[in-house]
Amino acid sequence: MSDGIRVAALEDIPEGEGIAVDRAISGTEDDIALLRDDDGTVWALNDTCTHAEASLSEGWVEGGYVECPLHASKFCLKSGAVQGLPATQNAVAHRVEILDGEVYLFPGQQP
Amino acid sequence: MPSIDVSGLVDSEGGLLDRAVITDEQIYRQELRRIFATSWLFLAHIDQFHKPGDFFTTYMGEDPVIVSMDKNRRIRAFLNSCRHRGARVCRADFGATRSFTCTYHGWAYDLQGELISIPNKEGYPEDFRAGDWGLVEVPHLDTYHGLIFGTWNPEPESLRESLGDMTWYMDAMLDHDPEGTVVVGGVHKWVLEGNWKLAAEQFATDWYHVNMSHASALTVLAPGGKPNDEVVHRTGRQYVDPKGHGHGFPVHPKNRFDAQTVHEWTDYAALRERLGEARVEGPLTTGHANVFPNFSYLPVNGSIRIWHPKGPDKMEVWAWTIVDKSMPEHVREAQRLYNLRTFGPSGIFEQDDGENWSEVQAISHGFITNSVPLNYQMGIGSERHDGRHPGITSELYSDAAARAFYGRWRDLMNTPAWHERNDNE
Repeated sequence: MSDGIRVAALEDIPEGEGIAVDRAISGTEDDIALLRDDDGTVWALNDTCTHAEASLSEGWVEGGYVECPLHASKFCLKSGAVQGLPATQNAVAHRVEILDGEVYLFPGQQP
Repeated sequence: MPSIDVSGLVDSEGGLLDRAVITDEQIYRQELRRIFATSWLFLAHIDQFHKPGDFFTTYMGEDPVIVSMDKNRRIRAFLNSCRHRGARVCRADFGATRSFTCTYHGWAYDLQGELISIPNKEGYPEDFRAGDWGLVEVPHLDTYHGLIFGTWNPEPESLRESLGDMTWYMDAMLDHDPEGTVVVGGVHKWVLEGNWKLAAEQFATDWYHVNMSHASALTVLAPGGKPNDEVVHRTGRQYVDPKGHGHGFPVHPKNRFDAQTVHEWTDYAALRERLGEARVEGPLTTGHANVFPNFSYLPVNGSIRIWHPKGPDKMEVWAWTIVDKSMPEHVREAQRLYNLRTFGPSGIFEQDDGENWSEVQAISHGFITNSVPLNYQMGIGSERHDGRHPGITSELYSDAAARAFYGRWRDLMNTPAWHERNDNE
């Protein structure tokens, strides 16, 4: 787990929801949203929606996508690819690994 | 804004009412300004909110409001209208959310009403301050035994003061035991032709209509299909509140719930201990009540309802069924079904009442019709302290609470409201 940062316990993130990792911890320009899909997998995207001021960690996570809680743009959890208006820019995705019930974040690395 | 002096339309001492109070558009607009923007209004039941983000949308007069629990678990109410172009920011009847986003341009507000997101924000001037554009908040909310009330009046008398002695009567429905009440099922909503006051005044004052309007329902419910003399000549009292509230109730030593399962479960000895004999044999019986201006309830049926004004000729009825929290499931279900069958939207009593109100309204715009006043003279002079029930009471068959209702209405209609007063005066 070289250069991975332990950012949460898996049980801290309910399925279908997300939590935000502060940029002071991730060392990135933006906070990072840890998003847990309804199949139990965990994904990471830049937290701020590419459309407007909104936190994707507060969005709805389901079926491989996160929906922005404010304006309903959807992003692919795996790639960050935008699925529809009002956002037009992809979200930045980061690599996440789970080990022994702990969530490790690899900022800047592709999933 | 010019206002209408309604003194000549309400003779609450002589018991006469001009029909313009239920038909006139200008009077209706004045009601929104001076009755609904100033009074404590029922919003919701506390049981509708359990976690932050739980919300319920309703109206105060014609003003749409969101009632919700904020992140600190405080119940708050906001005008449901975006500060940008005015569309509603919440279109659902109820639910749970993390924020309220306007579907027009996307301005979004958090549970505290703060404006938290503006699409294309770079287009606004540098000195634009989001903090100035939060949702408009209802300044005062308070609860009484689980009922949430709110008022737009920035300096209101307290809810308790406004309810006065009416609380003694309300407790007969709301305070059966320390656990309080909960809501069963959702909120029934239906539209009726008819001015909102026709319903409110009837619930405040009118037992008189029961034998005539509800004859078929009484017959169906009577043992052997034949109502006895006791039913037709019911005796009781009617509470008459100077602030316009009213509560009529039969007085009966062997109090009787009509839903057998509920009746058998009820511990009358414990109720007598807690609420006293006068309440158990009075307002806890088959009564009817209205809290001025437009919140009504039926203690035995578990029905609480609001008459939303929708213009002078139309109202929306929103009705909840509430039960004692301590009731086991099969008793709750019996109460729910009993209320549904009697005072649900298609209930055998509710249908009769709606028909009457719509009938009165439908013809009241006729020029000659509108010039013929209505009679509210039953029980004139009967108001007194009866030594058993607090405040002033009248006979069960009486228009006394309606006279007080319209007296209060007239006084508020003739008083400039908080928003009309000039600070320089």
